[in-house]
Amino acid sequence: MNSFIILTILYAIAGTVIALYARKGIRSQEDYFIAGRRIGGVISALTYAATTYSAFMMVGLVGFSYATGVGAVGFELLYLVSTIFLLSYYAPRVWKISRDKGFVSPAELLSYRYGSAVAKLAALISLLALIPYTSVQLIGVALLFEKNGLTFVEGIVVAAVLVAIWAMLGGLRSVAWTDAVQGIIMLSAAVLVVIWTYLWGFSNVSFNAEVSRLGELLYVPNSFWTPVRFAALAVPWFFFALTNPQVFQRLFIPKDSRAIRNMIILFGFFGLIYTVLVTFLGLELRLMTELGTFPAVKDRDAVTPTLLTYAPEWLSLLVALSILAAAVTTANSVILTLSSMISRDIIRETKNIITGRIGVLVLTLLVAVFAMQRPAYIVELAVLSSTILLCQLPLILGIFHWSRGKKYTGISTLVAGSSIAVTFSFLKLSPLGIPASIWVLLVSFAVHLIVSVVEDLKSA
Amino acid sequence: MKWLEGLVVVAAMLLPFALIRTEDLTTYVYWILVSAAYIAYTAFTMRWEP
Repeated sequence: MNSFIILTILYAIAGTVIALYARKGIRSQEDYFIAGRRIGGVISALTYAATTYSAFMMVGLVGFSYATGVGAVGFELLYLVSTIFLLSYYAPRVWKISRDKGFVSPAELLSYRYGSAVAKLAALISLLALIPYTSVQLIGVALLFEKNGLTFVEGIVVAAVLVAIWAMLGGLRSVAWTDAVQGIIMLSAAVLVVIWTYLWGFSNVSFNAEVSRLGELLYVPNSFWTPVRFAALAVPWFFFALTNPQVFQRLFIPKDSRAIRNMIILFGFFGLIYTVLVTFLGLELRLMTELGTFPAVKDRDAVTPTLLTYAPEWLSLLVALSILAAAVTTANSVILTLSSMISRDIIRETKNIITGRIGVLVLTLLVAVFAMQRPAYIVELAVLSSTILLCQLPLILGIFHWSRGKKYTGISTLVAGSSIAVTFSFLKLSPLGIPASIWVLLVSFAVHLIVSVVEDLKSA
Repeated sequence: MKWLEGLVVVAAMLLPFALIRTEDLTTYVYWILVSAAYIAYTAFTMRWEP
């Protein structure tokens, strides 16, 4: 048995002990799905961060900044500041209304304004969007295990068991506590790998003196980061905090207004530090490639795995564990949120916890089976997820800023926006050179405006 | 005012596309400083009561 498998077993035991402890006192769906709205600011921030930052950061973003330069930093930090802006404005309002009205599932906010049919449709669209996205997390873990002695399928099974057990046992309290521990692991691994790489690559040469070798990778626009590409990538993530149900539901969990304030600020600083570390690692490695001290890596997703073959075993293990943690925390948070939407919005069971646990089990199985197919188009599907979810934005903003629109406004907005997202993305259409994500926003807002006015006139 | 704040922040984040074209870490550091300043600003403004 190799060191990574032993570390995974220890990780599984530690997480399960936390989950077993967290399951005490769960009596209602409110306790199970949103931890009884009793989570403090620090744990809320760490679970928000661990849910948001998936394995994409330490694998995808390192490779992205390696291949495309500082534009990757701008893209990721634009996501962060837009999230802080949206949360600082909407989070206290969402938190209060969810508490006053007893919302547990994120779609219940839509139900409150637009009716239960709209909430059901939003739940179905979320399932469609997030099952492939969650499968990507399991595939990432399975590839990690594949390099450490297990088969791909065995890796999927291990990841699925971890995701399901922790979410089924203690619900959100279990997920939040394990997320908090794993968030610390993710940050610690990033700090150590950046320092080690710097000492490895730049003990004899000055980073600052040599950095100009990166040329066009140090500014935007360049041959990769055109304004249109930047917009196409940034727009779906700009509204991520409002449109992705697994993070939106995190706004229900802080115990008081001080906790929600701390959650957002601490998440902001966590995100800033983590993004800077991960992107700096990519730039360090690219400069080392230019200096001939790190091999040129063509496949950008292979940059981190290549680094791990050079790092000392303890550091490779820690980084691998942080990638595993990032994937598991994102996957179990998504699955728990989707389970709450199935239970409360689709089958409309609002009392029984067992439906939530069965939902977690069934969803994990679905995600695992999907991941085992290893479809070639999985990355496109994962990217599509955030684009599809954008169709909910007019409805969410409408609750706070637009008094018109009910059931038919909700249904037509969701149908039009999600149809545009699926059609344009699969056919790779970008009419007038405008990316699919922006078309989804334009069409969704236009349909929302027109139908809400008509619906309002008819009801008057 | 809130939307004006959002526009200012987004404009500040897009500024390197128009104004910075140096082959050093200026763009990288600029983005970090703008983000850090905005997070600190939100932490110190009084708008947290729902």
